[in-house]
Amino acid sequence: MRAHTIGIIVAAGLAVAVPALLDNEFYLKIIFTAGLYYLAACGLNVLVGWTGQKSLGHAGLFAAGAYTAALLTTKGGWNPWLALVASGVVAAAFGVLIALPSLRVKGPSLAMVTIGFGIVVEKIVTEWQDIFGGQQGIYGVAAPSFGGQALGTREWAWLVLAFAFAAHLLLRNLLSGKYGRAFQAVQAAEVAAESVGINVYRMKVLAFVISAVTCGLAGALLAQQNQYINSDFITFNLSIFLLLIVLFGGPSWYGPMLGAVVLTLLDAFLARWPHLQHFTYGALLLFALYAMPQGLAGALGQLGRKLWPGLGRAAAVPVVSAAQGEWVPRFAASRDAGGVMLKAVDLCKAYGGVVPTNHVSFELRPGHVHALIGPNGAGKTTLLNMLSGVVGADSGRIEFAGVDITRLRASEVCALGIGRTFQNLKLFPHMSVLDNVLAGLHPHLVVGFWASLLGLPAARREEAEARQEAARLLHFAGLLERAGDAAGSLPYGLQRRLELARALATHPRLLLLDEPAAGLNPQETAALTQLIGRLRDKGMTVLLIEHHMDLVMQVSDHVLVLDYGAKIAEGPPAAMQRDPRVIAAYLGIEDSEDSEDKPVTAAPSASSASSAPTLQPA
Amino acid sequence: MINLLQALLSGLALGGIYALVALGFSITHTTTKTLNFGQGEFLVAGSLVAVGTLLLLSGKSYTGVLTSADVSLAKYGIALLVSLVVLGTLGVILYFTAVRPFFGSAGMSWVMSTIGFGIILQNTALAIWGPGSLAMPSPLGEDVIRIGGAGIRPQEILVLVVTAVVMLVLDYILRRTRIGKAVRAVAANRQAAALMGINVAAIVVLAFVVSSGLAGLAGLLIAPITTASVFMGLAIALKAFSAAIVGGLTSPRGCIAGGFLLGCIEALVGLWRAEMREITIFALIILVLVIKPEGLFGQKPFEKV
Repeated sequence: MRAHTIGIIVAAGLAVAVPALLDNEFYLKIIFTAGLYYLAACGLNVLVGWTGQKSLGHAGLFAAGAYTAALLTTKGGWNPWLALVASGVVAAAFGVLIALPSLRVKGPSLAMVTIGFGIVVEKIVTEWQDIFGGQQGIYGVAAPSFGGQALGTREWAWLVLAFAFAAHLLLRNLLSGKYGRAFQAVQAAEVAAESVGINVYRMKVLAFVISAVTCGLAGALLAQQNQYINSDFITFNLSIFLLLIVLFGGPSWYGPMLGAVVLTLLDAFLARWPHLQHFTYGALLLFALYAMPQGLAGALGQLGRKLWPGLGRAAAVPVVSAAQGEWVPRFAASRDAGGVMLKAVDLCKAYGGVVPTNHVSFELRPGHVHALIGPNGAGKTTLLNMLSGVVGADSGRIEFAGVDITRLRASEVCALGIGRTFQNLKLFPHMSVLDNVLAGLHPHLVVGFWASLLGLPAARREEAEARQEAARLLHFAGLLERAGDAAGSLPYGLQRRLELARALATHPRLLLLDEPAAGLNPQETAALTQLIGRLRDKGMTVLLIEHHMDLVMQVSDHVLVLDYGAKIAEGPPAAMQRDPRVIAAYLGIEDSEDSEDKPVTAAPSASSASSAPTLQPA
Repeated sequence: MINLLQALLSGLALGGIYALVALGFSITHTTTKTLNFGQGEFLVAGSLVAVGTLLLLSGKSYTGVLTSADVSLAKYGIALLVSLVVLGTLGVILYFTAVRPFFGSAGMSWVMSTIGFGIILQNTALAIWGPGSLAMPSPLGEDVIRIGGAGIRPQEILVLVVTAVVMLVLDYILRRTRIGKAVRAVAANRQAAALMGINVAAIVVLAFVVSSGLAGLAGLLIAPITTASVFMGLAIALKAFSAAIVGGLTSPRGCIAGGFLLGCIEALVGLWRAEMREITIFALIILVLVIKPEGLFGQKPFEKV
């Protein structure tokens, strides 16, 4: 943090001094252009680098800002400063527009749709000449002034650098807190992000809007500096160039800056040979990412670490002292209080002819551990997905703590107090262990967008508290030593435990575990069993899917049995173990010998009075 | 009424072009989950190589001007062959330089690299042929055929016939032959296909060859209708991709249907207000994405949680 402050002061000093010392219009113009491109790219980086969305249509947003400033100052007679603000607002509105497809499509389709957006804007400003002037353009765009003093090239360089600086600092505030984690979580695994209470739609729209605002401001500043804008500015090549800055620079705090400076210089250098210029862009697009997958910033960072080992230190691990006490769930339920925590009524779900959930009803009691068992394909995971809002039920109703949650989004369900894990791990692999758990705390961080953006004390305080709580939780889960490691680098057993810790961080009233012991060795399973037992003792309500019968028998109070989408039995574990319907579903009635590869073993129990096979711990 | 019929006829011809390019998108997308964002430049390359070949065949410089006397069906056929060979080769180069290095990596690296490849291609063409548009007379002449008062050019009929033939042949190959089965197996599951002894790498290269070839064919077919120009690629490729989205990127038949649908819509909107064409198509795509994101004929992707 100290180094960062010094860096800011040095950079600010340079930003003031260099234009002051330069007397060459050409160089000042290059500084202006680099600052402008950085401004556009730093927002785009939030979208591309952090949120993982693709946009090849940001020329359209650049146009939105530029033409807003141009039209408002020429035809509307607005104050240039006000017009500048308005262009950011209008660009933001267009950002929402371009974000809409991203809510429905991913990957190449989204990229193409954004190209389409850019082309449509290009067509509009070219062809609707009575408003936008087409190639003739709009002359006399009014520029901002200070006390009636028109800005010279040097003042323009200062102004743009000031904007770039402000954007950099604000985005740094925003991205180093909960919003940064939420964006990264959306990029890593959308379903998992929803499951920890992050509204994926909202985050995507926000990322598009942020990129639109900086891009629109850049467009407006360009129009105002030139005092002119025409349709030739708004081309597909501009969209590509903006994206190239971000990708060439690399996903790092300084990536877009490096990209903007290097590419602006290259652009200025090659301007004498237009053919060569375009060939160079083509070659950069084609080969730069291959040669430097992490961009220029990544390549330089690697080089730096080679020359000065210890340069890139791991993030500091927060210290947890015993004084702060052990982590406890926020919503402990008393086992004896009675009542119903979750009530599912007549749930149905079908995928074509497959009916994984067929008129299933059940109730979950506070403070109890419920197990959901059944053969593979019985519909257990589908049921869990419906409870957590990941998939919608075809019919039926789910009531949680008196609220109907049947039609809610996963993130809303999470915010109401249902946390979950996934059968096939869905961690945020490139984020640290600590950040994974902090992402789980997302629904409980109440500080708003503006406070985070401005880095207000409230936001900093909340972030510090969140780190402490996450550290306590990691301590509870036995993961604190690994807090700084990337989640994806943990051994499998610890990844499972981390996912559980992340789900706990959402402070669930009800915890849904989808085969938490899948793939664990006997020791790890025993440790997990113990952990679930500790959670139960702390008053956590749990519903778990599991094939390890010893785990089920040890921790659960109540067992639900599914087969072919229907509930065939429920009751205390011991009774379920002897239930002939359950045994038939698991083992088949005629030849129980064939099923020994299942985690459930059939053995005539000597201690059992019944001669029928029973489900016994393996 | 005649206007309407006229618009529909030229819309169908244009739609055929979109359908061919869309089909190319679909083939590489189903087999590799990637597609060539420089496909428009490939289309341009197809038409310019054909123009150059025709000029050379007529004993002129490859940057000269074609007259209708220079173009016969035989020469057009030769130009087609040359064009397909060049484009097929470009497809292989594209695959090995721009797609394979980024295979399986997340993010949009391959999107950028294929765009980069297209930019290089475009500027090469620009260096050779310059920015102006080149006329390419149709081998079938320019005598307009009248249908119910509306006129249709022989070249437009050629586009429709070729599109129909290509569609039927590809459909047959994909559904009825060994190699088609291999392509569909790779599309469904690369690993499993490889385990079954299918040469996945060869199938993937083939997909890019066919896809590029289709773009080249489209370029050759459209040049006599609109003239060939270095800058026509992006708009056509974009509409072709829109067609693929509307019809369903995963469904070859959907891509064909989407192409024709879009061509007709574009022509009909053009009757009303030319400047509304792009906006209408874009709005249509958004609508399709909202109502049926997998496209009208596409398969709904099933994501296991």
